[in-house]
Amino acid sequence: MSILNEISVNLQNGKSKIVKALVQQALDEGVKPADILNLGLLDGMNVIGEKFKQNEVYVPEVLVAARAMNMGMQILKPHLAEEGVTAKGRVCIGTVQGDLHDIGKNLVRMMMEGKGLEVVDLGTDVSAETFVQTAKEQDCRVICCSALLTTTMGVMEEVVKAAEAAGIRDRVKIMVGGAPVTEEFCRKIGADGYTVDAASAADMAVAYCKGE
Amino acid sequence: MNNRERAMNILHFRSADRMPAVHFGYWRELLYEWAEQGKISRALADAWHDSNEADRELDRLIGWDFNWATTVGCRNGLSPAFEQTVLEVFPDGTRRVQTHNGVIERIKPGIVSIPSEDDYLLKDREAFETLFKPKMLYYPERVNVEYFRRFNEERDPDRPIGLSVGSVLGRIRDMTTLAGMSYLLYDEDEELFADIVDTYAEMQYQCVKAVLETGAKFDFAHYWEDICFKSGPLLSPDTFEALCGKHYRKRNELLHSYGIDIISLDCDGVVGKLLPTWVSSGVNTMFPIEIGVWGDQFAAAREKYGRQVLGVGGMDKTAFRRDRAAVDGELARLQTLADLGGFIPCPDHRLMPGSDFELVRYYAEKVKEIQIHSQTI
Repeated sequence: MSILNEISVNLQNGKSKIVKALVQQALDEGVKPADILNLGLLDGMNVIGEKFKQNEVYVPEVLVAARAMNMGMQILKPHLAEEGVTAKGRVCIGTVQGDLHDIGKNLVRMMMEGKGLEVVDLGTDVSAETFVQTAKEQDCRVICCSALLTTTMGVMEEVVKAAEAAGIRDRVKIMVGGAPVTEEFCRKIGADGYTVDAASAADMAVAYCKGE
Repeated sequence: MNNRERAMNILHFRSADRMPAVHFGYWRELLYEWAEQGKISRALADAWHDSNEADRELDRLIGWDFNWATTVGCRNGLSPAFEQTVLEVFPDGTRRVQTHNGVIERIKPGIVSIPSEDDYLLKDREAFETLFKPKMLYYPERVNVEYFRRFNEERDPDRPIGLSVGSVLGRIRDMTTLAGMSYLLYDEDEELFADIVDTYAEMQYQCVKAVLETGAKFDFAHYWEDICFKSGPLLSPDTFEALCGKHYRKRNELLHSYGIDIISLDCDGVVGKLLPTWVSSGVNTMFPIEIGVWGDQFAAAREKYGRQVLGVGGMDKTAFRRDRAAVDGELARLQTLADLGGFIPCPDHRLMPGSDFELVRYYAEKVKEIQIHSQTI
């Protein structure tokens, strides 16, 4: 088994300490940082994402895989920066104002990072203005809004309106998700994308960042 | 026929004079809305709790027969619980609080959502052995034996009352957080996690046994888990079975030996994939059947498991935020589920802000007209 394959497999198994050690070992052996990222870490997250979509793995497996990826990235990041390896796009994500629930939002963030996107995590209780201002200032191609509560999902419509008012609606896609959110709701408020799971949300964000 | 007889008859596929109007309580914010609208008093809104006197007063005002979450139990959690402690207060009023479960939560003023979890204490073997295990052990004072000895004489004879039998995994998840549970199970110490589950489950079993030995009689037993979400279970069904199956079986066999054959379980979300463990172990009454996220799963579950699966719930509570036509639509759909037998309609969780008081009253009146057909008896 190649070391990149080992990184991928151990990441899929959520073995964070082993992944961290393997990433260091790969660097020491002269493997290109971009290959460690793409063929090791992101490959492993990709497999987990696909299995999650197919209900072959569940939230815990995603959480431990994402933690393993983060451990690997701690070692890898400075080397990626040195080589000028850039993210596939930048998105901002947050749980909408009035809502503090962040498990779903974090899952989506992890999946997006696992697809090679740079994610600006705004946390929870995020106002429409903050979403839009962040997208504007940090040149995010996608705004992702999460809500757990039927009482807070209305804020998502405010985000769409705020993006229009700020004049960035034509260059930013708005994705919505969370327990009470549906495709119908997404269309109704004029957002661009809704998916049924976190892994599909990451695929959609990558496509948006590519301009598809 | 009283409400207790109605409910128990329907859940045993026997005849009943009518359907009981059953509910599962309210978001307090809704009660405050109703108070501002002059529908109820602010004092009632403040005092409400499942099955307490304020709940019963609301039942009278609205026309409900009873709240399914009418249960009694004992101190079957961490005992003594951790002292709730404010660790830090931020300039905007946000507080970092260590909860009774040993979880560090961030609570923002004015926000009623589930708080976000910052950290937790139950991370390793040392924390378990020194901080948690002593609080998870059984001791006789957990059960108020005198209360249960008087229970049969003093209980409300009109409504079904359940014995709260605790939780096998949900409360552990509350102590470790979902992330912490995941790290222990899949990366750090699977054996420790199993030890935690086993220790907690054994204490809860002993509590149930001590209550039942007093001679108190219950209409049903009731678990709380909340271990599923929109897309299904929070962990793999195989892992769930391996960790929890034996504990459900042991506890349910005990309940059966005392004649309790309605064993209900409160779990939000899409529960279908965990039904094999629950149904095979004797949990037979799903509650509150969140129609908003899991569709007509009760009908599908009935098709798959036959009369081994009963239901209390399944009414899309969002209809109360729409109009009478939406409520009528729900009533028509609920009739089809009632036709299957062994099913009692109930809003699929707490009634939420924006629910129209008069629509709720309308539903409580009309649900009593749902037919209980002879073919289901």
